[in-house]
Amino acid sequence: MKKIYILCVDDEPEVLQAVEQNIAELEDSFPILTAESSDEARTLVKHIADEGNLLGLVLCDHVMPGDNGVDFLIELDKEDVFSNTRKVLVTGQAGLDATVKAVNEGRLNHYVAKPWQAEELIKIAKDQLTQFVIRSKINPLPYMMSLDAEKLSEYIRTEGIVTDR
Amino acid sequence: MKFLNKQTISVLLGLVGLILPQFIGFEGLEPAGQIALGIFLMAAIFWICEPIPIFATSLLIILLQVFLLSEKGLFASSLIESGYTPQSYKDFYGTMASPIIILFLGGFSLASAAVKFGIDKTLTRFLLKPFGSKPQFVCLGLMVSTAVLSAFMSNTATTAMMITVVLPIIAQLDKGDPFRKSVALAIPVGANIGGIATPIGTPPNAIALAALRGQGIDIAFSTWMLLAVPLVVIMLILAWRILLFLFPPATDEFKINLDAKVDKSPAAIIAYIIFGLTVLLWVTEKIHGISSSVVAFLPIAALPALSVLDKKDIRSFSWEVLWLVAGGISLGLSLKHTGLASWIIDLVNWGSLGSLGLLIVFGLVAYGVANLISNTVSATILVPLAVGLGVSGAAGADFNMGISIVTIGVVVSLSMILPISTPPNAIAMSTGVIETKDMAKSGIVVGFIGFAITLAISLLYWPLFIK
Repeated sequence: MKKIYILCVDDEPEVLQAVEQNIAELEDSFPILTAESSDEARTLVKHIADEGNLLGLVLCDHVMPGDNGVDFLIELDKEDVFSNTRKVLVTGQAGLDATVKAVNEGRLNHYVAKPWQAEELIKIAKDQLTQFVIRSKINPLPYMMSLDAEKLSEYIRTEGIVTDR
Repeated sequence: MKFLNKQTISVLLGLVGLILPQFIGFEGLEPAGQIALGIFLMAAIFWICEPIPIFATSLLIILLQVFLLSEKGLFASSLIESGYTPQSYKDFYGTMASPIIILFLGGFSLASAAVKFGIDKTLTRFLLKPFGSKPQFVCLGLMVSTAVLSAFMSNTATTAMMITVVLPIIAQLDKGDPFRKSVALAIPVGANIGGIATPIGTPPNAIALAALRGQGIDIAFSTWMLLAVPLVVIMLILAWRILLFLFPPATDEFKINLDAKVDKSPAAIIAYIIFGLTVLLWVTEKIHGISSSVVAFLPIAALPALSVLDKKDIRSFSWEVLWLVAGGISLGLSLKHTGLASWIIDLVNWGSLGSLGLLIVFGLVAYGVANLISNTVSATILVPLAVGLGVSGAAGADFNMGISIVTIGVVVSLSMILPISTPPNAIAMSTGVIETKDMAKSGIVVGFIGFAITLAISLLYWPLFIK
């Protein structure tokens, strides 16, 4: 079975740690990777692709030394293997232009303004990963417990992903 | 990647199973029988170890049959020389268009329309209403609704739909309330049992019906229901009491939301009418005499003709389930025609078991195997053997082949001990509400009591219908 990764990108280690803590309950089903820059994120993403695994969700800051987060997300969106990857911008400093660019050119799925609530972030992560599983047509059974079980059941009902045998 | 992983070992084992019988002469087995034995062994190994999906194994069976055993196959002339009359390749292909497959296809068309217009959800709300809001009766209501739907739709799709109904109920209950488990288990238990109720309820029924038809025993849709529904009703009530005993509720009452939006668009109304009409014609087969397989083409053709189903809907039918069954039926053809089934039967002296002993042995093996592998596959492997037993006469005069076939078809649906036993079990398990040991507890009790009841019914009640 392919692994589905979550990638968190932020240049501030404390913020990165907070994000990771907030979504820690997903770790068992979705291994979490962290990067402190776009460059580091690129290396991780390439590694995921090389191993034939999947990237389910990116939680990405915008203003970072080096390439900014929006540019990284746009770049990611262009790669076929990551076309279903859910992209969330977690930032306090992205201006209107950058945000619009992320939506229009990077098909941004969600915007989280800093500071955020822990419950808010985990809910968003679950929603986005549920969408990822559905859109990637992955067998949802291993993920029912950690994600939105109702939506995933509905998906089995309508798409016949699991059938009688 | 390691070369000798489970997958490659299973493939190699299957190939050995296919090839080895061709080099070992078996006494009493003609060359055609040896080829059939090879195909049978390979199929069994592939189905059990699953190095490839089970439906792919079914397709391989048909491939091997047309190449190796048919009149157009590679060995047709040498088989004829050995005194065997090869079957037409059309017989093997024809299994995919056999009446029983068409019957299932009719069921798939209805189910597809039901899901598209939410008929399954509306019906569930309607069925649940009379059961009120007392936990015990809600549990019974859930089981009954699930069973009714799974009798006409796939057990798996019904379970998935019902899980969306029960999750909000479970969320209301205290984390420590054992009743959460009753609710979560009510769905797979109801779906597994409900599948027994009609010929189209679950694929193993198709294997049983096809075998019966092969023996000239034609069972009407309504006759099957007469055989099966009493069993299903008894089983549901018992399973309900068992669940409540194992996981009793700690609360007195809770809310369930039964608001249903009924789709009143023209397409939906046509879907309701065709659904109702088809089911009505099926259950009244004895009155009007039109075979259920003939009626089945009504939804198959009418739903697309009236634009209720579009090409996307037709593509999304579970075609692989049909191929799985077709391959199973096809394998059964060769087992019978090459004399392999009788040959296997002759390996054992069955007469000493007596007809009741035989029924118990076949039933227990089918039940046991179905807990571990696909229900359809375990019926596919065992039903031809029961046919062989009946045809060879080795079992004695009082062995009722028809009833043994139905018994095998039914008991595989009672297998629900493990999460892997059936897809409904796997779905219920994946919600995280129940643990494997909970499922095993209820599964063992329901399964063994169900087995005893099935046996009793098959001895006392079914002989009224199957002579």
